[in-house]
Amino acid sequence: MGMEQVGLLPAILAGAFVVVALFNAFLPRRGDWLVILAMLAVIVIGFLVIKDFQTYFHDGEFMPRGENAYSFEWVNIGDGLFVIDFSTWVDSITVVMITVVSIVALMVMVYSVGYMHGEQRYGWYYAVLALFTAAMLTLVISGNLLITYFAWEGVGLASFLLIGFYWERQSAAEAAKKAFITTRIGDVGFLIGIILLWREAGTFDIQQIIHFAEEGGFGETYLTVTMLFLFMGAVGKSAQFPLHVWLPDAMEGPTPVSALIHAATMVVAGVYLVARMMPVFDQVLIARDVVLYTGLITAAMAATMGLVASDIKRVLAFSTVSQLGFMFVALGLGSVSAAMFHLFTHAFFKALLFLGSGSVIHATERQEVEYLGGLRKKQPITAATFIIGSLALAGIIPLAGFWSKDEILHTSLNEGSLPVYVVLATTAVLTAIYTTRLVLLTFFGEPRDHHAYDHAHESPRIMTMPLLILSVLAVVAGFVVFTPVGKALGFSGGITELVFVEEPEKFHFDGAFALGATLSALFGIGIGLAYWWGRAERAERARSWAPELHALLVNRYYMDDLYQAIINRVVLGAAAVIALFDKRVVNESGIDGGAQSVSWFGFRLKFLQTGKIPNYALAMAVGVVALALVAFRTS
Amino acid sequence: MQRIALPSQIDRVIVGGSLVAGAVLVPVLVVLIALLGADRISGPELVWWLLALIIVAAALGAVLLRNVVRAALCLVIVALGIAGMFLLLASEFLALVQVLVYGGGVTILLLFGLMLTNAQDDPVVQDGSQKPFAFGVGIALGAVIVIAMTDATWNTGTRSVVAFRALGDRLYRDFGVPFEVASLVLLVALVGAIAISRRDRDEEEVA
Amino acid sequence: MIPLENFLVLSGILFAIGFYGVLARRSAILILVSVELMLAAVSINFVAFASYLDPDFFTGIIFSIFVIVVAAAEVGLALGIVLRAYRERATANVDEANNLKW
Repeated sequence: MGMEQVGLLPAILAGAFVVVALFNAFLPRRGDWLVILAMLAVIVIGFLVIKDFQTYFHDGEFMPRGENAYSFEWVNIGDGLFVIDFSTWVDSITVVMITVVSIVALMVMVYSVGYMHGEQRYGWYYAVLALFTAAMLTLVISGNLLITYFAWEGVGLASFLLIGFYWERQSAAEAAKKAFITTRIGDVGFLIGIILLWREAGTFDIQQIIHFAEEGGFGETYLTVTMLFLFMGAVGKSAQFPLHVWLPDAMEGPTPVSALIHAATMVVAGVYLVARMMPVFDQVLIARDVVLYTGLITAAMAATMGLVASDIKRVLAFSTVSQLGFMFVALGLGSVSAAMFHLFTHAFFKALLFLGSGSVIHATERQEVEYLGGLRKKQPITAATFIIGSLALAGIIPLAGFWSKDEILHTSLNEGSLPVYVVLATTAVLTAIYTTRLVLLTFFGEPRDHHAYDHAHESPRIMTMPLLILSVLAVVAGFVVFTPVGKALGFSGGITELVFVEEPEKFHFDGAFALGATLSALFGIGIGLAYWWGRAERAERARSWAPELHALLVNRYYMDDLYQAIINRVVLGAAAVIALFDKRVVNESGIDGGAQSVSWFGFRLKFLQTGKIPNYALAMAVGVVALALVAFRTS
Repeated sequence: MQRIALPSQIDRVIVGGSLVAGAVLVPVLVVLIALLGADRISGPELVWWLLALIIVAAALGAVLLRNVVRAALCLVIVALGIAGMFLLLASEFLALVQVLVYGGGVTILLLFGLMLTNAQDDPVVQDGSQKPFAFGVGIALGAVIVIAMTDATWNTGTRSVVAFRALGDRLYRDFGVPFEVASLVLLVALVGAIAISRRDRDEEEVA
Repeated sequence: MIPLENFLVLSGILFAIGFYGVLARRSAILILVSVELMLAAVSINFVAFASYLDPDFFTGIIFSIFVIVVAAAEVGLALGIVLRAYRERATANVDEANNLKW
């Protein structure tokens, strides 16, 4: 068993999906155990793959960078004229992604046993979870852009199905539609980008494309446009500005799904894609700058929106968007390692936060912070783990979030410019503020809705266990950057080298810098405490401090309204024109017209059929003579 | 001498027919005999030409005459002429059969049919709207066949009279099964004709 | 000796005349007469070929016999049909039978 088995990872889960989707009604417990067992198998095989990958280390040197571990011929048109291989590519990025996806997926699946207990379509829920994980694993092991796209759409489909899981609810159906269509806009760009790459390079294989680009096979402008199209896909999937609008609404789905898909894994697919194509992005710095500033705008904007959101899950959603922006900033600065490291730690503490919020919602059936408060007494484990996650998010040393966020800030100052650093640092402070606000309003203070409070209870063990595991990970995940830790875990070269592939990008720890970051985070927490600690009127004061600004933020910079207006005016207007065309030209002229002309001619031509046999005989005779003449001509 | 009173129609037919036939045949006969005398054609050829003339004339009569009985009788002339042709082609048996079946059976059947259906004389004026087309097609078809026949080259062999015995051998030995099938066809046809033309019982009651 | 073409041309002319009759006549009986003309033309053809091209086996003559048989059967059967039709429709004119019309 080794890296050749990498193809098994999605295959096992795809099999579980088929079985559970079709036969869940006949399986005991609707087949949830089957999906979880499949997931455990995936983790075991994934571990073996990573172990085998370790053998690539020789004397601290990493050779080769990756390997096409498993491939077969997928499409062969014209006997070798047009061949697409189902190829895989296992390198450090893949390994990180496999780790993140499989661990978070397992946690979410276990947690869902408690959270989704007694739901209608319980089996279908697990089936789609398996489908999602299979597609996500396909995405991260794929070595071929066409298969990447295929898996990309697969995770999009699973996301759509799970956001709309409660499709009886109008808002859930709308949110699913919104998510699907918004990401679709990006996906079209992605597809165009793939086609443009293929047009010049003549292959879908990522490594060959990178090789082609590094040899300067593409024109500069051509490649810039192409990479921007490719980045469009990442923007849509990772909910970056201006396509970020779908992610807050995606919280209509079940909360564990939000943790898995809309926090830890699927939304980082965009980061993964850009990281995977980074050598190509390196050829065109304009495209990289676009990545950088998109990430920067998103990070700042989402953090401000997170300040005022009242839905506990939406706050976390805005936080996710903001943290994804951080990752894109790192990518825009050319630091794949920093981005992947943040992706790695973020997955754990954000999944923890979402699952914790799920625990709160499960207990109180409320998700607006206005109606919560004081829950730390009722839900001690949830509160403790949630606070750990929040501190990790805020970036308090030595929790996981600190190390990765610090790395990004460090990169922004070294590789970027001062304004970029200032914006990012401010955003980090904002992060600390809204995180504090969320924790205070949910778990501290007086309960504001006594009915909900009285019914609240700690969640069952099956839900708190994943919380505890994830909180441990949220604490320690950051330490992997230190070589001794990696060695202790049994990886000969240390996990550091997994993430920090290239030597110059080894993790650097700067005491003064770290102190500054920690202080700023504490400063943010202090502001949060000052505003929201204690009585409700102080929170009210925050709202009345600048009502216009508050309204602007609550309404998410009016971007949803803007899009709605564009859809109403432009899209529906164009649709009306097309509908008219369809009605008049296609339907009335084309289809009805054809039928009418047939019936018109039929009405007139039927008189040829006199019914008199002599007429028919005459016609036959004419035919005989004509045939004879033809025979004469040809002989 | 007392003049015999014949029905005026027959009178007209005999007189008119004889006049037409005489007017056409006599010059032709004269020409042919002249040619024979000049040794341009042989005896059989003279007979052939006469027969051919009669056949074509009678056939035209059969399809053109308005009077239905006369048209049917023209068919008898054609049948007899063809029997003559068979003789010229040295197959006496077939000539005999032709006379028997056509001159006898078929014509009688047709005349019975005319009688039983109260057939009117074929009205020329309202007659078949497609007559001109039919004329054109007939000419075209005839032209096609004649051209095709004359165009081809035939390597004709020697002819000999077909003896009755040889014909019988061939018909009953080599074509025994088809012969039986043909007789079955005849039987079925006759039974079918009876079955079709028989009055149904309820019709009889109405009648 | 009479050339073969003579017989063939005669048969062709006879066939065309019969065909004209089939197309032009209205009365079913007269159409039958015309059909007999066509059959006779075919008979001539058969016999002429048999005696000129196949004098040893004269298969054409045999076929001519069959043609005559079939002609006789056909006339008998056709007359039955005509009588039946006449009784049903009170006419023996084929152009008044237009059941096949639209």
